[in-house]
Amino acid sequence: MSKDRMEWAKEAVRAAEAAGADYADARLVLLQVEEMSVKNGAPGEAGAPEEWGVGVRVRKDGCFGFGARPLSGGAEAEAVREAAQAAVACAGALGGAMREPTGWADLDSEGASEFETAVEIDPFGVSVADRLELLQAADASMDGQDSVVARQAFCSLRREEQWQASSEGARLHQVLVRTGAGMDVTAAAHGQVQRRSHPCSWGNYKTGGWEHVLAMDLPESGERIRDEAVALCAADPCPSGPRTVVIGASQLALQIHESVGHPNELDRVHGHEVDLAGSSFATPEKLGSFQYGSALVNLVADSTIEGGLDTRGWDDECVPSGRWDVVKDGIFTGYHTSREWAHTIDESMSRATARAEGWRNPPIIRITNLSLEPGTWDFDALVADCEDGAIFMDCVKMWSIDQRRLNFQFTCEIAWEIQGGRLGRILRNPTYQGRTPDFWGSCDAICSDAHWDLWGVSNCGKGNPMQTAEMSHGAAPARFRELMLLGAE
Amino acid sequence: MVDGMETMDEGALLEVAQVLVESSPAAETEVIVDAQRDRFARFAGSGPTQSADRVMPHVMVRVRVERDGGLAEAQATCDRLDAGATRDALTRALEFARFAPVSNELIPMGGSVAVPACVGDERALECGFDVMADWIERAIGACEGARLAPAGLAQVAYSSRCLVNSAGRSVSGSASRAAFSLTASDPDGGGAGFADAIARQPEGVDVERIVARAIGKGESNRAPVGIEPGRYTVVLEPNAVSSLLLFAAYQGFGAQDVAEEASFLCGRRGEQSFSELVSISDDAGNDIYPGYTFDWEGTPKQRVELVRDGVLGGPVTDRLWAAKQGVENTGHAYPQPNTHGPKPWNLVMAGGSESVEELVAGVERGLLVTQLHYTNMIDPRDLLLTGMTRNGTFLIEGGEVRHAVKNLRFTESLVHAMASVSGVGSEREVAGALFDGEIVCPALRIEDFCFTSSTDF
Repeated sequence: MSKDRMEWAKEAVRAAEAAGADYADARLVLLQVEEMSVKNGAPGEAGAPEEWGVGVRVRKDGCFGFGARPLSGGAEAEAVREAAQAAVACAGALGGAMREPTGWADLDSEGASEFETAVEIDPFGVSVADRLELLQAADASMDGQDSVVARQAFCSLRREEQWQASSEGARLHQVLVRTGAGMDVTAAAHGQVQRRSHPCSWGNYKTGGWEHVLAMDLPESGERIRDEAVALCAADPCPSGPRTVVIGASQLALQIHESVGHPNELDRVHGHEVDLAGSSFATPEKLGSFQYGSALVNLVADSTIEGGLDTRGWDDECVPSGRWDVVKDGIFTGYHTSREWAHTIDESMSRATARAEGWRNPPIIRITNLSLEPGTWDFDALVADCEDGAIFMDCVKMWSIDQRRLNFQFTCEIAWEIQGGRLGRILRNPTYQGRTPDFWGSCDAICSDAHWDLWGVSNCGKGNPMQTAEMSHGAAPARFRELMLLGAE
Repeated sequence: MVDGMETMDEGALLEVAQVLVESSPAAETEVIVDAQRDRFARFAGSGPTQSADRVMPHVMVRVRVERDGGLAEAQATCDRLDAGATRDALTRALEFARFAPVSNELIPMGGSVAVPACVGDERALECGFDVMADWIERAIGACEGARLAPAGLAQVAYSSRCLVNSAGRSVSGSASRAAFSLTASDPDGGGAGFADAIARQPEGVDVERIVARAIGKGESNRAPVGIEPGRYTVVLEPNAVSSLLLFAAYQGFGAQDVAEEASFLCGRRGEQSFSELVSISDDAGNDIYPGYTFDWEGTPKQRVELVRDGVLGGPVTDRLWAAKQGVENTGHAYPQPNTHGPKPWNLVMAGGSESVEELVAGVERGLLVTQLHYTNMIDPRDLLLTGMTRNGTFLIEGGEVRHAVKNLRFTESLVHAMASVSGVGSEREVAGALFDGEIVCPALRIEDFCFTSSTDF
């Protein structure tokens, strides 16, 4: 069957070339998903979506075109040809409006290759009954307080199989398995409604199998987050003004995503996403010299890291995955690029970050797995090193950042005031505001690899029409000085 | 079936759904078939950058099976219409339902019902890339003349949808959409201008007007000057108003939001919490930008007055939440099963009597805001929001627009903002936001709007 499917991909490429394409690539994508949730003890969502289709991208006279069709049983050959012809027609009709041809980095991709996510426990092999039993136990563990108004536990399994062929001779087959779960509880009291989650705000996801879900200790965590949600309703609001703040790993993952990842996408930098997602302050003249953060800050992009949601063999332009420094010792050193854009920073190879959502969308530059390298601190020692009145906060509640990725404002689910070198009273709605290079420049301590983990983002939006993509961000708790807290109430 | 233009045929979609429902052994079965054909072209100064011609059918199969004296429910989907794929989806749904927990909450699926007609404009189906190439050429050419960098999107889409269930419900309709947007940016790092239009058909997109507005704002915003954050009277244009009001759709106007005490309606229903100038309904049958007239359970969507002269009403319901609360089903279901409850997705704000110029004339010192960016919610009870201004923010002094200012971050409660409305524009537009959704709304003048920080562009 796989061989047949590769033949369809090759047929799409042949059809595009026959229609006049200078370059063509075809991706057949089969996405199988199983999702379920338990909400307030009752079934929430239980679904098994499946997607199967072909996307063909062509380049004709320097203009891109893209066609996408579902692959209906018995009509696959017709569908791949129709998608290819639609892509060429699209590029042909729009070519007259081109002012300059799109860039296109060379690639030696001829030949066949395979990649498959390493899985310890096949998540699709875990029975639906066993998955539900775990979710029901997690949901029940959050019950037992009158002020709890909603609770839910959920899991998601995704298996994405791609057959990719190009007019340059690429024949790529990869299977990506992504597994995740999470739980959250909402309490309402004293005029407040407060939510706590575990292991982070929308669950955590990784490439790999059910072993990731088992490691989350879902039922064992319910009572803690329930009691924290209840306590938050009666807690004082987090104070305003500049403070020393220790930010937890899952919150820091979103900070990396928004203030380093997105401004690092080279298509944004060149203004091609400004119509919706925005542009970037991190312009090319800053490369190699701009002080992005303190000397402790090292941010590494890596589409090969074990467990990363964007860990794969190749991107959707047939470029093999890799690892590179985005910020080295605090200095801005690298971009996320594609074959279209690499030449604008004098690089001959793409960094393999052009990706599309499913078969329906053309690839655009997406953040890959991007992580803050661990430091040396033990978490307890770091808290003990903070002055009275410092704050520890974690878990994303709200995020907002400007279109150039400079001015941001984030709210966490929970904070603790540090007193006497320990975590003290709980504080609600902790909100901080800042400017990207100032924020990273104020980092003076990062916890060690014992506290470091990968946090998956499963729904990153970009493009217009918007596409979603997945990636992970590794982080350990870190300390930031003179961070501006905002009494958001 | 071949997946081409005929994928959009309502009769063919109904047949796919009907066959599947009739073949299902489940106690209850519901099939939704939704198919979209879209063409889009993105562009920048170099010309078209990405473009696509897509056919995207989607089939949702929901089943309920009897077990242990009750019913268990599950759903499966696929994105093909052939008999093999849809049968596989039914099989997966049945398999999932075999293990799903038995629920005591399930309301029997609704039976036969008549829904008002909703018909997309077929000109959207027929519009080709040559039309979009012309739009793009005009935008790029005008920006070149003004020495501004263009970026934008042209998109034309047509969709058909049907729902059939084993209780005898069978509804169908179609919808269409044409959109064009332009951001015209200063190439030397100054500000930008934005304008867009969203209509039911390509002929409803006034390209000249969009290009002129975006370039006009971009030229006025080349060298914005810094301004201190604080409280200002603001005139929000429709693309800024939509960023705020859509959050009331995401979180607040739904019955589940209220039941979970995560809504600004809690404790305020029946109260005059907004300015008496504010009236908002959910109205899929509105004549400016009509939507599907039935929800994802096949229930006719009612026009619901959510805010009338400042008095809060609602919330909207679906079958489950109407039964739970003993109220009427307003027809605002999401695809079932889901965990977030009913939502209103066709918000329409009533227009007022003033032009934007007249709204500005009523401001002694304040800001004219073109668009808001990355608005998000801090707290649901007062709908406390934050976000940035974007693509043209201008100082108003003495009732006149003076000059562009650098962007500001606002942190403001929607309840406070709507209570502080002192003027409502007469012209209404279809406007969206960074996140999902589009509404019909006018410009608003709002007193005492809180900006909490600034940025350096």
